[in-house]
Amino acid sequence: MSRLTLDRLGKRYGDAMAADSVSLDIPQGEMVVLLGPSGCGKTTTLRMVAGFVTPTSGDVLLDGRSILRLPPHRREMGLVFQNYALFPHLSVARNVAFGLEMRGTPRPEREAQVQRMLELARLEALAERLPRALSGGQQQRVALVRALAIQPRVLLLDEPLSNLDAALRAEVGRDIRLLQREAGLTTVMVTHDQDEAMAMADRLVLMRDGRVQQTGTQEDLYERPANPFVAGFIGRSTVLRGTLHATMHGGDVFATGGGTLLLAGRYAADGACTVALRPERLRLAPPGEAGPGSAAGTVELASYLGAVREHLVRLGPELRLVVRDPTAGNTRLHAPGDAVAVRWDAGAERVFDAADAQLPFLHPEPIAPDTLGTRMTSDA
Amino acid sequence: MATTGQALRPARAAAPLLAPATLVVAVMLVAPLLLVLRFSLDRYDPTELMIETVTGANYLRFAADPFYRAVLRTTLGVAVACTVLCLLLGVPIGYRLARMRGRWKTACVLATVLPLVVGSTVRAVGWMILFARGGVIDATLRGLTGHGLELMYTTTAVVSGIVSINLPFVILTVQSAIETIDAELEEAAQSLGAAPGRAFWRVVWPLALPGITVAAILCFILAMNAYATPYLLGGPRFQMMAPLLFWEFGTNNNWPFASALALVLMTTTLVLTAAGNLLIPRRYRI
Repeated sequence: MSRLTLDRLGKRYGDAMAADSVSLDIPQGEMVVLLGPSGCGKTTTLRMVAGFVTPTSGDVLLDGRSILRLPPHRREMGLVFQNYALFPHLSVARNVAFGLEMRGTPRPEREAQVQRMLELARLEALAERLPRALSGGQQQRVALVRALAIQPRVLLLDEPLSNLDAALRAEVGRDIRLLQREAGLTTVMVTHDQDEAMAMADRLVLMRDGRVQQTGTQEDLYERPANPFVAGFIGRSTVLRGTLHATMHGGDVFATGGGTLLLAGRYAADGACTVALRPERLRLAPPGEAGPGSAAGTVELASYLGAVREHLVRLGPELRLVVRDPTAGNTRLHAPGDAVAVRWDAGAERVFDAADAQLPFLHPEPIAPDTLGTRMTSDA
Repeated sequence: MATTGQALRPARAAAPLLAPATLVVAVMLVAPLLLVLRFSLDRYDPTELMIETVTGANYLRFAADPFYRAVLRTTLGVAVACTVLCLLLGVPIGYRLARMRGRWKTACVLATVLPLVVGSTVRAVGWMILFARGGVIDATLRGLTGHGLELMYTTTAVVSGIVSINLPFVILTVQSAIETIDAELEEAAQSLGAAPGRAFWRVVWPLALPGITVAAILCFILAMNAYATPYLLGGPRFQMMAPLLFWEFGTNNNWPFASALALVLMTTTLVLTAAGNLLIPRRYRI
């Protein structure tokens, strides 16, 4: 039950920085998810907080007090691992009781607490089983309540859902979230799965190459990505590098990969830049439609995915866009070879300069989401 | 009925494949053992050597003579001491080795195995140079303190020699047992408040126990049957079973008594191994 602060935390292995000045302030009860591709330093960061990796720079503070000198067994952090790490020679109940035994909790109190925890995890009936007799989801629930039983100051989750299949993942994820919120636990979770991260987090930290790329809510990262990497990782935007040509009216012209896009907005830049387009905010229009926020192309691949249709549209020899539109809309699945126009509004595009900083809009003004909705239906 | 037939089929199909191996085991192991058993019931005569009969005289001689009982006691004492020492040294080393990574690990495993390349006789000669009167230890101590220390032909010398031979086997067996235990289990235990030593005793030790038992049994059997080391480092007055029975067999030509000694040694080893295994909690037994 504490405020966890990481202050310019760093870990150097030889010449490589596994984590590079990671700073983060997590107030009591918040769930922060460290997200990023493998090797981005998220696990190293978590292990530094847990005490299994000694940082080469920076500090970890709990309620303002440095805990770097404390060994792992005195940090009072509940740890949940990807492959559960249940003690295979102890029954479920003994696993849950382990932390209390280590603390010397008197037996009656210990048994009551174990009982409470097993009820919480809906595992009362399995108390005397050995872990290997349990399903993956049950094992992870045991691991979770084992960590909660010691009433940790901070809960650390290392890819807790990665070993579970899709249906269980959602269920165990909900369990974790409910128990965490109920206990008001300051929590850090690590994952490489952005859907999992989006579903679980109060706040996200996106990392790459040991550095924090952006910290913020799901909406912050989705709507206001700090750089092309964030834009590409969150929501899997199509990220294009090319040249921006400023125009006096309408949108700027962006040339890349042998094709051109007429952007929806105008930006205070000229020359090399990066454009990120959100597939779910693009739509297909009849060929010939033009204007700000448009490009002409040919459908290369078309798939019906249930909730959405996905089209891969070829705009030039090296230029392709993914367009994802809801099947509930009034559009149809195009056939490969169909000539189409791709249309979008300013909300779909993000433009970054050569230094990867996001460029502000000049004109037209961003369109409010409600008008965007009506426009989309009227166009279709 | 049909399912039984199907279940039987693979077994029946495997029979011809298993037959040669079974035959080799029967001929090479069981038959000689039966032969030894038969010899041990014969009578020895200094001129006619082995006289075919059925008598328990050889076993009675062993049981009645305090000398032979003392030899068995010495053998047992040395074997138990070696096993305890090998576990005390081998378990921590095996654990460290199991948790090492990369190039250092390869180097350390190699360093563990390398002494095995030198045969036990050559190694015993090495120990002799260290232990003998005027040897390395004796000369050094004499130079430093004025009093020498002669270890040759002592229990210390024999136990040191056997431990040095058995230790690599114990280390490697323990290492492979601990490697199957996920290091994350120790981290989990530590995060739950167990100091590293406690995490080892509560998590690694019980899980490694079957492997450690194998190591202990291996070490015990090797020590019980040690021949070259007690012969070379123990000298003529330090008697253990294996050299004694070879002496009876080779020098005295008393095959019946040597056979009886061999069976006593084997039975003692087997019984004690089984008894030791019983001391271990049921679910960890091998």
